[in-house]
Amino acid sequence: MRARVAAGWTLVGIPLAYGVVETLVRASKLFTG
Amino acid sequence: MRAFDPIRVLDRSRIVAPPGFNRWLVPPAALAVHLCIGQVYATSVYKTALVEHFGVGQTQIGVVFSLAIVMLGLSAAVCGTWVDRNGPRKAMAASALAWITGFCVGALGIATGQLWLLYLGYGVIGGIGLGIGYISPVSTLIKWFPDRPGLATGMAIMGFGGGALIASPLSTRLLSLYDPAYDSSVTGSVPAGSAVALLFLTFAVVHALLMTYGAATIRVPADGWKPEGFDPATLKSKPMVTTASVSARNAIRTPQFWLLWVVLFCNVTAGIGILEQAAPMIQDFFRDASGVSTVSAAAAGGFVGLLSMANMAGRFVWSSTSDVIGRRPIYLVYLGVGLVTYLLLALFGQIGTALFVLLAVVILSFYGGGFATIPAYLRDLFGTFQVGAIHGRLLTAWSAAGIAGPLIVNGFLDAQGEPGSLTSAAYRPALLTMVALLAVGLVANLLVRPVAEKFHESAVLRDQTATNQGSRR
Repeated sequence: MRARVAAGWTLVGIPLAYGVVETLVRASKLFTG
Repeated sequence: MRAFDPIRVLDRSRIVAPPGFNRWLVPPAALAVHLCIGQVYATSVYKTALVEHFGVGQTQIGVVFSLAIVMLGLSAAVCGTWVDRNGPRKAMAASALAWITGFCVGALGIATGQLWLLYLGYGVIGGIGLGIGYISPVSTLIKWFPDRPGLATGMAIMGFGGGALIASPLSTRLLSLYDPAYDSSVTGSVPAGSAVALLFLTFAVVHALLMTYGAATIRVPADGWKPEGFDPATLKSKPMVTTASVSARNAIRTPQFWLLWVVLFCNVTAGIGILEQAAPMIQDFFRDASGVSTVSAAAAGGFVGLLSMANMAGRFVWSSTSDVIGRRPIYLVYLGVGLVTYLLLALFGQIGTALFVLLAVVILSFYGGGFATIPAYLRDLFGTFQVGAIHGRLLTAWSAAGIAGPLIVNGFLDAQGEPGSLTSAAYRPALLTMVALLAVGLVANLLVRPVAEKFHESAVLRDQTATNQGSRR
């Protein structure tokens, strides 16, 4: 069951992390650009 | 051997969790759906492409997004009881079917140059998928996390904000892939309509997989289940938390429902006031003596990104905080501190970009928090019985705010000139109107009291029994 929980969170966590990183890169232009 | 029945597999009775089921499997299932439908907030990426493809104005394309949001509120209100009765798996499957059909019909409309198909597909059919998908996991999560309902709904509804964060950069990359002539880093470069059609089909496939995972994984707790170490008696000790049940039909007859409707409407309208004009607003607030903005277009884009992060983070952080300090106090923060923050932004926002950004970030975090905390507030007042259906009906406030927010902001700004050439003073009337709206929401929240016993299901049944016995005599 723990493996299923980890797999579930990974499945949604990876795209969410992608979105957060991309947005942070974009947001950083507020201070640099 | 029992024959496989694909419809019965979706039934609530088939998804009762077995003993030992780990409740932490439910939030990712809910997130899978919300991350997909959150794409609706990333439509600006291909808006210009659709304007050029169909040869129409911004308004005609903007209608697609507005239609989707209006349908979200309407379908959540109309289908809420159906969702509660049939369970989250059937609801998620219905949501996936409508959302994916919406993308496919929308892609067909773009490919054949028929705008009405885009309205019907993405706007109407997809909008229905949005509404059902948005409310589908909420009551289930509240039942799995009776000890932390704010945390649970915060996690799912955070996904709706996160969906836009994912879809926006992903759409840009996919559009570059489908139309090699398109370069997002070049100002004025616009992708071809065919690339947007392919993007829609890609989303249809990817979202079908993710939403199927959500529907397949979701489970409802068995009757009488409670988390280890949780004592339901602790709820009874809190004056604003009921252990009674109120039906959706009775809930809309209570003043509490309409007070919360006003609270949500005011909070969302105030947030939209900034979201609607974020990029031109920060540029307009900071102009040098010659009238040129000191904030570049790239920096203004960064500001929009930061607001998206604040919106998403607020959903999780503030909703989780409400489990500790209570629902009414957290809305006092959203509306009271939000009011003061808005006032500071209107009067002193032009002093410096750091102050302006800080104030806007706080306001947007409260906007997200307001969305994520409302299901837990409903649970506290009306119980878990039909909280999904009640939540669905309350989301009409979101639809109304989606119309009122831009109308207020654009109405005031149109009288001052064109956004992108204004100064901070031009925004003051619109921002002060939002302050007044937040004050109305604050008063509404202060008036919220526990729901009268006559609306509780036990009292309603007692009254009905007495009436029936009286009529027999």
